[in-house]
Amino acid sequence: MSNSMSRRIFGGALLAGTGALAVERMRSVGWVADRRKPRSRVAILHEGSYAGPLDRVLVDGLRLFDLELHGKSVLLKPNLVESIPGAEVNTNPRLVGAAATAFLALGAASVLVAEGPGHQRDTQLVLEETGFSAELKERRIGFVDLNRDEIVKRPLVTQFTGLDHLWLPRTVLAAGFVVSMPKVKTHHWAGVTLSMKNLFGVVPGIAYGWPKNVLHWRGIDRSILDINAAVPAHFVIADGIVGMEGNGPLNGTPRNLGRIVLADDPVAADFTCARLMGINPLRVSHLAQAGEFLGNGAPERIIQLGEQLPRTVEPFAVLPEFAYLTQA
Amino acid sequence: MKPLFSEKYRSLRGRLLEELLHRRLPGAAVWSHCGTQFCAEPTSLALLALFFSQSSSSAMKDDLKPLLAHRLSDGTWPSATDGAGVNVWATALAVNTLMILGADSVTSKVSVKALVQCRPLEASWLVRLKFRFSDRQVRFDPAKYGWPWVPDTVSWVVPTSMALITLERAKRRGLVGGAELENRLRLGAEMLLDRVCMGGGWNAGNAIVYGVPLRPHIDATAIALGALRLHYQHPVVRNSLTWLLGCIQCRSAYSLAWLILAIDAYRDVGADVVPALAAARDRLADLVLDPRSMADTSTIALAALALGAGENPFEESA
Repeated sequence: MSNSMSRRIFGGALLAGTGALAVERMRSVGWVADRRKPRSRVAILHEGSYAGPLDRVLVDGLRLFDLELHGKSVLLKPNLVESIPGAEVNTNPRLVGAAATAFLALGAASVLVAEGPGHQRDTQLVLEETGFSAELKERRIGFVDLNRDEIVKRPLVTQFTGLDHLWLPRTVLAAGFVVSMPKVKTHHWAGVTLSMKNLFGVVPGIAYGWPKNVLHWRGIDRSILDINAAVPAHFVIADGIVGMEGNGPLNGTPRNLGRIVLADDPVAADFTCARLMGINPLRVSHLAQAGEFLGNGAPERIIQLGEQLPRTVEPFAVLPEFAYLTQA
Repeated sequence: MKPLFSEKYRSLRGRLLEELLHRRLPGAAVWSHCGTQFCAEPTSLALLALFFSQSSSSAMKDDLKPLLAHRLSDGTWPSATDGAGVNVWATALAVNTLMILGADSVTSKVSVKALVQCRPLEASWLVRLKFRFSDRQVRFDPAKYGWPWVPDTVSWVVPTSMALITLERAKRRGLVGGAELENRLRLGAEMLLDRVCMGGGWNAGNAIVYGVPLRPHIDATAIALGALRLHYQHPVVRNSLTWLLGCIQCRSAYSLAWLILAIDAYRDVGADVVPALAAARDRLADLVLDPRSMADTSTIALAALALGAGENPFEESA
């Protein structure tokens, strides 16, 4: 990661020529370090079902990245919202369980699953109703409720929200290797919810409430940028086996995408997922901005380790207000 | 609550209280959710659970001192470590606890006043205008407002409900009164009635988003019903109680304990409530058989209260 290039981020310059009036122009107070590495790596893996050999698929997929995991404490952060029968709201517990087993098999010292749901205060109920409790118990993997973890004041390195600090869970800050495991979904406020939006879940309800309304008022896209700059995920495993289109993140329609996306850069992961969804990532405010300093979005700066992006995709359905997301 | 229940669960409740004492942070009567950091919610709930388990309350008054030591200068509490700032839920829980445990009225009044004066963003006409004309994806009436979780945000169901429960108690005890209080109590109750989910019950506070009804949550419904006990004749309250009575097979002790405390406050309104209460307590007892394995201290305290024999600390009309 290079910090050699530092400059002020101007949303206006970023968006020049895109014609995307719906994309919010954002800027951070002060100087923002360019954290992009020269190239990011992404692997798109085919997997059509949660009943498939997910443990093997993930071990093989992770080996493509040659990660240094020995002795590291790995924290898996799935997207757990609540259980809605028939809806593909949450990261699938089998995929999370398989990821835990895979990281241990590849040398991680420990693996924890941690999440702080945004609206449902009873995290244990979410775990029970979504099948997470049974899965984690079977695999003997621990869980931490980030909404009620000990909190630590962390200064923000960017100030898109105007906040100068966030209270964050000690468990997340102590983890040696944070893995964002989003569900690939549309989102009726942010456009899409992928690995970067998924980190909203590390902001503790005990400090900010249910929902984390301070962040909504400061701007969801702005908050996503500040959170991801403060708590960068080291790796992404995105659940695109079955995603959600339409009125996501809760009431959309299941969409069989048949993919798991792995990446060593959340921005590269989210640009790739958006492209698989038929959504123009530069039309998503937080992605467009993140591609300027947090990680790589440009195709020429992303090395595809698995299959290539398909030439054509059937775009995810979006709410009428978000029709611009699918435009070139 | 009923002595019958008390006897049936005496041993289990003893283990829950023992675990609470074991988790008390060194040197003071304060508790954390799961670590070593002061947290207002588990501290308030643990103090209440221990208070109702004792025949004498004299020792408990001294135990309020550590909770009071975390009170901020304006009379509010943070949810956790002192630098975390004002939290309405934490404040309402703490003041309710102070009153029940017998803190002197001067001590309680400061915090009651702070609670009355805490307003959400919708108290501003500019924000109401924004919701009326530009931000209309979530269906609610911004003129009916309650309390936010933290300053500079809008009203939500859980902090509003707890503020109503606490302020009603303060009013009955003569700690507060006047037109401003009555206005806040009225608006808060109206806000809860406005935010109800289709078919009854409450979630965080978004009943309909982009035209789609969202599902209620058990704990939010329970706390809201506690706050609306005096409004039982309202169809919204009756429907919500019916919805909650259908949730007694809940798989989580936290929600189930809140459910029990809520429907206990309605035990005299219908023939179906007491049997449901008994079934819910049996279910809860199964879920909390091993208190040491429970991660969250608040859940242990709530379970002790729900299986206990004392006054219901969340019953508005108590």
